Amino acid sequence: MFRYLLRRIITYLPTLFGVSVLVFLAIRLIPGDAITATLGTEAGMLTETQRAALQRYYGLDRPPLEQYVYWIGEAAKGNLGYSIRHGKPVLELILERFPLTLELALLAVVIALVVGIPLGLLSAIRHNSLLDLFGRLFALVGLAMPSFLVGTLIIYVLSVYFKILPNSGDYVSFAEDPSRNLQQMFFPAVTLGFAFSASVMRTTRSSMLEVLNEDYVRTARSKGLFESRVITQHALRNALIPVVTLIGIEMGYLLGGTFIVEQLFALPGLGRLVVNAISQREYALVQGAVLFVALNFGIINLAVDLFYAVIDPRISYD
Amino acid sequence: MTSLADPLTEIRTPGFLRRLLGNLSGAVGLVIVVFFLVVAIMGAVGITPYPPVEQHPRERLQAPSATYIMGTDLFGRDITSRVMEGAANSLRVALISVSLSGAVGIVLGMVAGFVGGSVDNWIMRIMDVFFAFPALLLALVVVTVLGPGLTNAALAIALVYTPIFARVARGPVLATKEMEFVLAARCVGMRRWRLLFMHILPNILAPLIVQISLALSWSLLTEAGLSFLGLGTQPPDASWGVMLSESRGLAEKAYWLMIFPGIAIMLGVLGFNLLGDGLRDVLDPRMRGRH
Amino acid sequence: MQKSIRIFIVVAFLALVAVVPVMAQGNNTLVMARSADTTGLDPHTQTAFASFRLLELIYEPLVNLDADLNIVPGLAESWAFSDDAKTLTMNLRQGVKFHDGSDFTSADVKATFERILNEDTGAAGRANYTSIESIDTPDDNTVVFNLSLADVPLLAAMTSLNSAIVSSEAAESGDFASTANGTGPFKLDSWVPDEKTILSANADWWGEGPYVDSVEIRIIPDESSILAALRAGEIDFAILNDPLIATLLIDDSSVTLNKVPAIAYHVLQLNPSRAPMDKLEVRQAMSCAIDRQEVLDTASLGYGTVTGPLTIPAYTVPTDQYFCYTKDLDKARELLAQAGMSDGFSIKVIAASAEPPTALSEAQNIQSQLAEIGITVEIESLELSVYVDRWLAGDFDAAVALNGGRPDPYTMYARYWTKDGNLQKVSNYIDDTLDSLMAQGRAETDPQKRYEIFAEFQKHLVEVAPWIWLYNDFEYTAQQPYVSGFIPMPTDSLYSFSQVKLEGKGG
Repeated sequence: MFRYLLRRIITYLPTLFGVSVLVFLAIRLIPGDAITATLGTEAGMLTETQRAALQRYYGLDRPPLEQYVYWIGEAAKGNLGYSIRHGKPVLELILERFPLTLELALLAVVIALVVGIPLGLLSAIRHNSLLDLFGRLFALVGLAMPSFLVGTLIIYVLSVYFKILPNSGDYVSFAEDPSRNLQQMFFPAVTLGFAFSASVMRTTRSSMLEVLNEDYVRTARSKGLFESRVITQHALRNALIPVVTLIGIEMGYLLGGTFIVEQLFALPGLGRLVVNAISQREYALVQGAVLFVALNFGIINLAVDLFYAVIDPRISYD
Repeated sequence: MTSLADPLTEIRTPGFLRRLLGNLSGAVGLVIVVFFLVVAIMGAVGITPYPPVEQHPRERLQAPSATYIMGTDLFGRDITSRVMEGAANSLRVALISVSLSGAVGIVLGMVAGFVGGSVDNWIMRIMDVFFAFPALLLALVVVTVLGPGLTNAALAIALVYTPIFARVARGPVLATKEMEFVLAARCVGMRRWRLLFMHILPNILAPLIVQISLALSWSLLTEAGLSFLGLGTQPPDASWGVMLSESRGLAEKAYWLMIFPGIAIMLGVLGFNLLGDGLRDVLDPRMRGRH
Repeated sequence: MQKSIRIFIVVAFLALVAVVPVMAQGNNTLVMARSADTTGLDPHTQTAFASFRLLELIYEPLVNLDADLNIVPGLAESWAFSDDAKTLTMNLRQGVKFHDGSDFTSADVKATFERILNEDTGAAGRANYTSIESIDTPDDNTVVFNLSLADVPLLAAMTSLNSAIVSSEAAESGDFASTANGTGPFKLDSWVPDEKTILSANADWWGEGPYVDSVEIRIIPDESSILAALRAGEIDFAILNDPLIATLLIDDSSVTLNKVPAIAYHVLQLNPSRAPMDKLEVRQAMSCAIDRQEVLDTASLGYGTVTGPLTIPAYTVPTDQYFCYTKDLDKARELLAQAGMSDGFSIKVIAASAEPPTALSEAQNIQSQLAEIGITVEIESLELSVYVDRWLAGDFDAAVALNGGRPDPYTMYARYWTKDGNLQKVSNYIDDTLDSLMAQGRAETDPQKRYEIFAEFQKHLVEVAPWIWLYNDFEYTAQQPYVSGFIPMPTDSLYSFSQVKLEGKGG
């Protein structure tokens, strides 16, 4: 087990290296730098001496290769650099914002599972029934709504018809005030979970349909086991494997992609941190955050693989 | 697995279309997709009530009426015409991005799975780099570097989706290449590429077709997301995503700005998904017999 | 399965039961929302409007502007130019303290301007103050600026936050990245970028007020969400940049919308260094082909005023005195023919994708109008910093811009329309008439004569049409009915927060 983990970690290092090069180059390919991002059109009023002083201040006076070697060397030691705008080390900033995004992603997953799995199950068991039709319709509507639209509609209905808006820029963390926090996270999580529950429903349905057709399920049925027992004890367990894969992919996606929802609901998460850093041209912050997201992605993939072994005893990692 | 059904032969047989239409999802999906294709072609060649970018400033923000069936926008442009042009542009983004990512991703995934060893390792590591890069940021960076626009948005979406196709293609190839018919073909000295594309590809087509239909709907939504961030189709041209994001500030005053492109995008996504469901049911031999 | 259902029920229950407005702050806190945060805390190096809106509560300049853009006392109580306008003497307010408790004296003023003029500081407004040759401080309350030339607009430039007074200690060795030590009505308690800023009332402030205990500034990036927060009663006050969103409140009785004509102006900048815009007739034809009111009507729902170059109320000229401010397609075609371009041509116009929010709408309407005389316009929408980069390099055929106004015509336009203007590489046009009128205006102290000079300057500028001025819209702020005392400013300044009272603010 330990050797398996070690091997997985080592094989992931080249991927992280690739991501680091890609992000380093990408952010520098975009025109504009921290000076124009901060000063706007007034940057044109600077004298040469002023400009040189600012370049030194933002560390832009070194050749790119030197910047990269220095950065990656420090990153390997756990130092992702410093954000001038925030006045904090990049890692500290990321770790401050990450819990929000993680919580949001987890809540979205919970909502998706709670809605998606039962619907998918029922839909598969009553294949081609009216219930199936409604379930699938729900799923398709869920899949078909862009999340910015769902979020906009939720915010509009809440503020105009209910005169409330839990998300008005005063986010409190779960540790500070759990009930207030959940109340703020609920609607953003629904916005994300809505579409996601639709894909969980579809995956559950189709893999359940496949499993119900397998020989061992037929055998179980022919042995006279009750249908409900067949489904929960035998079929569901196997049908869940693709769902776990889906959750893995989706979690990886959510941890780097809750930006639009964070934007709409004024949540200070990782997504907004990175997108703001891009528009402010805070190179160190963008690089650090993308590397961090890629690392998470690796961890999630690993967790998914380990989870297969929990669901299916035939899979083991030695 | 009892029979080695070949989905390509399935598609060629005259019974295929009848079976697809016999499948509820497949039939509804096909009708919607064909409908949108027709609308999109009309939009693309200019068979619209008005030119989609023609402004009628005196008739701006008109509610739906006989003159303007779906109303007009801020500039007095006809929403009906713009939804039609939007169909063309949205589908164009979807088709470009999916055919690009599909072609590149599937070939890479199949080669990786089939050849194995260090080739597999290299290809999948590179795919992982793009997979691990946050999707929205990848798109954001691509579009910011290349400049916003329909084609670049499609490229960005393709870049995000390529590793997914590679993964989806690689898995079944791994499973299939040890099968008897493949081993047999190798024994008789069949060329590897011929084997890969003529015999293995048809066998793994079912999951790929499903993935393609999902990717089409996903790219419609991603284009909308990119447009929300100002990175999609550029003004004055319309796509459903652009129309939706433009409508956000005004929808309270002019509901028609949001409703019609909203319905269009939902129907579009619905159509591709239903078609994908139907295709899977019809193509997957294990699903056979349940209808 | 079972467990996740239970978790879900708990979550849903908590979320729904607890959806009751929570009073996070005391009743006397002014809670304000806006979409963009300050880019930093150093008043001398910030240029974004969003930065000014925070820093003007903390730092104060020597002189202020009133709602009509007249110069009124700030940290300086009175001032006088010498007859040749080459010496400016100021008497400073007494008994003013910095937030750290130290006294404000003439030494702080001297240190502030020395910091601004030092090139290593990277101060944004430096170019406006380069006429200052030396600064004398005969006593603690008197400052004398010795100028290298007659510079009347210097006084107006001093109203800018870019010359706000910092303590001499900070000016020499201060940390401007994370602390702020000003003389203003509010002290900075904490700043979490892009999230929240907390300010507390400065009890020792020299003026009357402030009447609120603290100000909480929240960043809500999406303006639709700011509107929602106002309607839900979660915030007291908001700055709105998008006219489409702000004007939704006109018919909303529960929230008060403040609007005041802005001095920032919307403009289509042509690039006269590029063919065919290097031809006067081509530029004039474009000017004649654009109905400015139509741009305003479509981009901003008509909320605003068609304007010439100067938006300062004291310097505006009736638009019928400008060249071709009424759309005249025949004349436009004739001018194009004179230039030998009657077949039309193609240009690309750059616009920042959301800065201002109306930029792409303006571009689309201009595109549609110019098509009428055969000019094909391609719109390039760019991310803000990319746009700024291209704009600064003068790398565009035409640009849709919202440029900031200044309280004085000279400081507003010297950068573009003088021979040694810093932004000549952006404007790419200058002639002797513009340059000499600017020089005259800079030295003239008589208001009526200054008006005449700048009226002529504007008419000439519109006629040679390097840019096509379009309109100025409103600065929008919104507040709950119980908020009183706020004075909306053409500069959008929030300085009058010191006068705001929250009587009757509920829970």
